[in-house]
Amino acid sequence: MNTKLRAFAEQVLVVLNVFILFLLIFLHKLTVPYWLQPAGRMHPLVLHFPIVLLMLAIGMEVYRIASRNTNLTSFYKNFSGGLLLAGILFTGITVIMGLFLSREEGYGGDTLEWHKWTGAAVFFIASVIYWVRNKLWYSVTASWFFAVLMMLTLIVTGHYGATLTHGEDFIMQPIYANIKKPSVPIEQAIVYEHVVQPILENKCVSCHNPNKLKGELALTDSIALAKGGKTGKLFVPGNPDISLLLERVHLPLEEEKHMPPEGKPQLTREEIMLLTLWIRGDAKFSQKVIDIAEGDSLRILATAILKPEDKEEKYDFSAADEATVAKLNNDYRTIAPVAKGSPALDVSIYNRDLYSTKQLDELDAIKKQVVSVSLNKLPVKDEDLKSVSRFENLRRLDLNFTDVTEKGLDALTSLKHLHTLSLSGTKLSFAGLKDKIANLKSLKTLSVWNTGLTPEDVAQLKNAYKGISFIEGFKDDGKDTLKLNPPQVKNDEMVFASAIPVQLFHPVRGVQIRFTLDGTEPDSIHSPVFDNTTIIDKKTTVKAKAFKDGWYSSDAVTFDFLKNSFVPDSVVLLQPLNSVHQAEGAKTFFNKKLGAIGANNPAWANFWAGVRKNDMELVAMFNQPVTISSYGLHYMLETTTGIYPPGLVEVWGGENENRVKLLTTIKPVMPEPGGKPTLETLEASFKPQSVSYLKIIVKPHVEKDRRFLVLVDEMFLN
Amino acid sequence: MDKEILEHGFSWNRRRFLSTMSLGIGSVALGSLLMPNLFKNGGIEEEGFTPGIPHFAPKAKRVIYLFQNGAPSQQELFDYKPKLREMTGQEIPPSVRGNQRLTGMTANQSSFPLVGSFVDFKQYGNSRAWVSDLMPYTAKIVDELCIVRSMYTEAINHDPALTFLQTGSQQGNRPSMGAWLSYGLGNENKNLPAFTVLLSRGIGNGQGVYSKLWSNGFLDSVHQGVQFSKGEDPVLYLKDPDGMSRKDRREMLDNLSELNELSYKEFGDPEIATRIKQYEMAYRMQTAVPEVMDLSKEPDDIVKLYGPDCLVPGTYAANCLLARKLSENGVRFVQLYHQGWDQHGNLPFEIAKQAKDVDQASAALVIDLKQRGLLDETLVIWGGEFGRTSYTQGRLTEDNYGRDHHPRCFTVWMAGGGIKPGMVYGETDELGYNIARDPVHVHDFQATVLNQLGLDHEKLIFKHLGRRYRLTDVSGKVIKDLIA
Repeated sequence: MNTKLRAFAEQVLVVLNVFILFLLIFLHKLTVPYWLQPAGRMHPLVLHFPIVLLMLAIGMEVYRIASRNTNLTSFYKNFSGGLLLAGILFTGITVIMGLFLSREEGYGGDTLEWHKWTGAAVFFIASVIYWVRNKLWYSVTASWFFAVLMMLTLIVTGHYGATLTHGEDFIMQPIYANIKKPSVPIEQAIVYEHVVQPILENKCVSCHNPNKLKGELALTDSIALAKGGKTGKLFVPGNPDISLLLERVHLPLEEEKHMPPEGKPQLTREEIMLLTLWIRGDAKFSQKVIDIAEGDSLRILATAILKPEDKEEKYDFSAADEATVAKLNNDYRTIAPVAKGSPALDVSIYNRDLYSTKQLDELDAIKKQVVSVSLNKLPVKDEDLKSVSRFENLRRLDLNFTDVTEKGLDALTSLKHLHTLSLSGTKLSFAGLKDKIANLKSLKTLSVWNTGLTPEDVAQLKNAYKGISFIEGFKDDGKDTLKLNPPQVKNDEMVFASAIPVQLFHPVRGVQIRFTLDGTEPDSIHSPVFDNTTIIDKKTTVKAKAFKDGWYSSDAVTFDFLKNSFVPDSVVLLQPLNSVHQAEGAKTFFNKKLGAIGANNPAWANFWAGVRKNDMELVAMFNQPVTISSYGLHYMLETTTGIYPPGLVEVWGGENENRVKLLTTIKPVMPEPGGKPTLETLEASFKPQSVSYLKIIVKPHVEKDRRFLVLVDEMFLN
Repeated sequence: MDKEILEHGFSWNRRRFLSTMSLGIGSVALGSLLMPNLFKNGGIEEEGFTPGIPHFAPKAKRVIYLFQNGAPSQQELFDYKPKLREMTGQEIPPSVRGNQRLTGMTANQSSFPLVGSFVDFKQYGNSRAWVSDLMPYTAKIVDELCIVRSMYTEAINHDPALTFLQTGSQQGNRPSMGAWLSYGLGNENKNLPAFTVLLSRGIGNGQGVYSKLWSNGFLDSVHQGVQFSKGEDPVLYLKDPDGMSRKDRREMLDNLSELNELSYKEFGDPEIATRIKQYEMAYRMQTAVPEVMDLSKEPDDIVKLYGPDCLVPGTYAANCLLARKLSENGVRFVQLYHQGWDQHGNLPFEIAKQAKDVDQASAALVIDLKQRGLLDETLVIWGGEFGRTSYTQGRLTEDNYGRDHHPRCFTVWMAGGGIKPGMVYGETDELGYNIARDPVHVHDFQATVLNQLGLDHEKLIFKHLGRRYRLTDVSGKVIKDLIA
């Protein structure tokens, strides 16, 4: 190596030594200007070079001395010396940068001190080695001693440096995370300590601890959390929307202040939810999980995290013989494995009439493998539960609407794994139930809807057994008054020939129907009560309303009963109907089928016969003459879509087609456009006439050049 | 010279033969290492899948799918967009609309003014979910629901969208979700079909539903959905004709099955075996179905819970009650269709009535399942086939407007069945037009549903005409964030 260069370098080394010593002693009195801070930040970058150079150089040096190899040339000696010198110079620069960096905020604590002093020690030891390496007394022992000393110091420095950057336990963390920590029993779990703090430790503490105090914020315990950091307090109890902690978490990832910083493991959605819920719940530090209200999301989430073993249950028994299982399956009893390859079996039994205790006893062969049984709505008695208790690995039992009582629970106490029990719809008495639950040691969920327990009983149970979730279900407290739906009509046909009983009914039990026959609105005082004795013999508009105590009365509903005394023996259309309004052709008009209106009853899918381009002209013939005195037709009115009453109706009647005379003409009044769609009837009376041949012409309404659609579904001859 | 070349080519001694063959076998062996299924004879669907058993332990055993046919407008129900109200009347910015294709109904519209919802929204429950005033009963149970606001699809009209949601492909002829579940999990209660369908309709503008939506596609016809209708005969052709006793029927079936067995022995057609099975199930259904469909014995509490309409057959409320009863009795997949949500116009009036039809009963169903301890093994889903546009279709007046079809975002809620309760997942942008976060494609949704029932959507496969088909077609991933 060029001696001049070397000499210069050695002088620089002396300068470095002095400067570093100076910095070490006085740095706490100095501030690092902002333009020099980037230099400090290059410390983690630059430190890699001197480590390698020093290790290489010291290795070469030790070899040189210890091996007593006489073949080494002077080149070797110079080279290793030069390497060492380069290493030390880089080390010096690194140390200076490190010292600058240590002055930045966010660094402090013991780890930093150790790192600083051991790092400086590396520099000084290496410098010493450089100066003494050629001395005569530099023996093998000495060379080994110095080398080992430097290496150890280097390793220790490196370790503390990494702790500063990555946090404690960085290397071993995946292993530690997987070692199952003894899970806290849910009864004793405290929300902050066992649910919230682990999140912070996992994702935040590596940069927010006393040793590395980013933002002057530590997140290591409740005091530090309450104190906050440089920007302010972390949260406002009860108000997650204005809490700084969540603000930082919710910032977009690209934002500088987003926490955790980009590149570090981010908080999962679940963890964010937990923090939000915890803060919303006033950020209590000593609240237990089971003291939170049951339906509260925080409790649900916390429970899910503390008891992850629910994810996939492991069973410790072997599978049953497949042939046996197949044999025990029949039409009313289904036995199936819980999943492919799982030894656990699920049993469901159906059909009340065919149930007997034998159905349970027959399952003896697979009693070890059954984990879930459903006996919903079967006549199961308390004695039968003895058979159930033989399923030693039972986890779930469904006894809804069976005949068991709380006495049967005694039989189930031997089931060590029973965690879900459903007793909805059974007759339970609170006094007996209260103590028997204590004997079901693994019980986690109990459904007691519709069992005769009052809400107070259930509240007492909840208090006594905090680890069990009680499901009480909906109970009608009489507060929410509902409105009844309108009455309905049971009649198959609304068109009758001579007389028809009006068959109103209401699906809800105990409802009183009030009705009118004259088109007026029914009410609960004046209108008669419907009692299924009403028979009508002429065209009637029936209006009805439903009433019941504890309910609002229904809306009024209208039913039109239409009379048609004479059905012709044959009907023929003389002009075609609209292509989409064919209905049943000529048969439409006397088939007793009425159409409906509304978007879901489009006219083309209904019983509507229609014309627009031409007239509706039909001929009705009777084998025996009949005496008629009125004619009617039933049509749809929907002005918004161009469906209008007919413009003109002519009824001709007589003995036969050659001898007819005009019986009546109807010219309906056109309604105002707009308004709701309705169904209407047109009628006209005339002098009674004996006819066996009728010709009816219905002309569509024409306005200016526009022809409007006329839809007819039924005609009446009376 | 050619002859010599030819002859040289033919000269093949033993040494050459053996060495070439060893190379050949070696390369085939290499091939089987690189392509593990090289020698399997189309065995992929048998690998790890036995029809009738879930792949892994399921959370849910049954599904009730409350399908809102016609596409309910999310801006009026679950997706609160105050910005839309502010910007009512203004054109939708082209940057937001992008190049979303328009339907034929609005393609000729000259302007696309935004319109905010006519109803107000409030926040409910621990999840602080926004629910409009049109759904007060659903709002009360938001803590049981997982509301997914970021569903999206590609189809823009009802038929392809319905088919896509039910069968996984916009073109038909594939098995529907219920059929796949029946194939994958089998029948729990052998006296009832595994897949039943109940229809109802509201007064709003309705679209049809087609029986291809519950068809079995190319799967065995035993997996077909059975439509239960209102009226005296819930299942068509199930009742014995007057004058025929049950004993007669049994005899007839026995004789028939003997004939069918002979036929099966001769032809080996698997449809014959299916037919025999179906006759037997129909026989059992004759007693089981009327028992389940009988609404007259329901206690007053239940009537109060679902609303009085639940006793009127053919209404949505009655169908919800029936769905609970069917599910309680072990029916795997109960699907309800409520028609009438297609509010292209007259939205404020129609949607209020539609919402009233379904609100109380849907919430009641969830509560009723919960109080029987069945909610955690029953997956309840509520939703339509796509969403509606943030701009109006037709004329925008003071109190009336309509919305057109919109595939890019819509809302679906799920409850029970191992889905995380009390959660709102996904977000749309301020104008409710595009998805801002956590999109859930129809295939992802289907994959998640199958997952909850213990089926891996990539393993539930059926080989038909040389191709392996699955419900999620070629995409879809399980959304783990939705799972408790």
